[in-house]
Amino acid sequence: MNVRDTISRLQDFYILSVKATLGIVRRPRYFREIIEQMDYMGMGSLFIVFLVSLFIGMALSLQISAELSEMGLKMYTGKIVGLSIIREIGPVAIALSFAGRVGSGMASEIGSMILGHQVDIMRVHGVNPVKKLVTPRVISAVIMLPALTIIGDAASMFGGYYISVFVSHQSGAFYWSQIKDIMDFENIFAGVTKPFIFGYLIACISCYMGLSTRGGARGLRQATTSAVVYSTIMIIVSDFLLTRVLLIVWGSTV
Amino acid sequence: MIVFRDVTLAFNSKVVLDNVSFQADFHEKIAILGGSGGGKTTILRLMLGLIFPDSGKIFIDGQDITVLSEARLREYRMKFSIVFQEGALFDSMNVYENVAFCLREYTKFTEEEIEQRVRELLRRLNIEGAMYLMTNELSGGMQRRVAIARSLAECKPKMMLYDEATTGLDPLTADNICSLINELSQGEPPDRTGFIIVTHKVTDATKVAERYIYIRNGKIAFDGDIDQMRQTDDAEFRKFINELFVMEQCR
Repeated sequence: MNVRDTISRLQDFYILSVKATLGIVRRPRYFREIIEQMDYMGMGSLFIVFLVSLFIGMALSLQISAELSEMGLKMYTGKIVGLSIIREIGPVAIALSFAGRVGSGMASEIGSMILGHQVDIMRVHGVNPVKKLVTPRVISAVIMLPALTIIGDAASMFGGYYISVFVSHQSGAFYWSQIKDIMDFENIFAGVTKPFIFGYLIACISCYMGLSTRGGARGLRQATTSAVVYSTIMIIVSDFLLTRVLLIVWGSTV
Repeated sequence: MIVFRDVTLAFNSKVVLDNVSFQADFHEKIAILGGSGGGKTTILRLMLGLIFPDSGKIFIDGQDITVLSEARLREYRMKFSIVFQEGALFDSMNVYENVAFCLREYTKFTEEEIEQRVRELLRRLNIEGAMYLMTNELSGGMQRRVAIARSLAECKPKMMLYDEATTGLDPLTADNICSLINELSQGEPPDRTGFIIVTHKVTDATKVAERYIYIRNGKIAFDGDIDQMRQTDDAEFRKFINELFVMEQCR
């Protein structure tokens, strides 16, 4: 792919994202599609998010308490686990799982519709495919990813609790008091803002890849892979940028 | 009136249409013939403004549609209805929902009125019994019928576009679809609904069409009626329509 193609694709992606966002406030609105997508993204991802988060919390707690016990500070496991889960690992890990499951699903579904001429049929009958297909997915993703992140964070902290209490033999009450200490506006705001942005990026990237599908099964495979790869890259990059911005906003020094 | 003027289109440097020019009236019965990947379907997609040419102009009723926005194209797309190869039905919907799709999107009919209209259409096309089946439970012929029903649900088009409407069907079902195509284009010109059928099945084309356009290497290699087609001295085209001669000899 040459530079001209890359710029052209970036421009198309930007236009699609703007149109999808404007679709939120313009008629017609597709409430049924939004509910269907929320069910697919939310309920469909609940188990995988719960499982991934639980084990991340357990592994993190295990690792941190092992390190802290050498310094005689393992009672602070809860604080470090909670902080890293809420601010960083939770939003990123859940967004990556979400991109793998939902992003690939969006790209392959829309890609199949492109190859099966279903999107052409919509256009012929005057239905705007961006409003019908992309906007409901963007709305659903920006609602469901933060919700899943909150659930996943809770699961991680329970995983951390289990390890702290039953493996590392710490006080459960102290663990929860540490968690309670870090539940301030600054941390919660950072933890909820990130999945909101990640959800938007995953939905826009995946829908764009789906709508750009060309060339049969091979093209569909490429679109699906690209959706996950680009979503993953954008999650990591935007996480860094958001962290930097939030630290500046709260006046924290590094 | 549809006018293609010097239309050229390439995909990834492969020229699909090369300076194609022709014109057609909405009431005409046209078959576009040609080999696979020869640009036949591309002509239909260009006609609907789903893609745009690299150069050249496409006029529908005097308006160059290559310069129109997506919103303004709707007015011109409404003059046509298209049945894509294998139906292009929405696989997450049942037959009823597929046919009702456009009615729900763009009319203010009540659900009862929509149901009545859908039933009427499905009865006309002899598939009322399949109304609540999912599209993957339908045979190839039934899928084409549902696609035709959907294309007729919203409006009365001036011209139907059929993309490989009989491809992949057994001879009897293909024959039924041809009969249906003829039935939908009954009447005398200029009042009848015309059609353009894109196909590589010459025998099916001759059951329905009155004018034949043959596309080869992105150019129009033949444009005429069946008598002119029989008398063509283009060796490659004669080979392409050989099955027509075989069939006529058998008779």
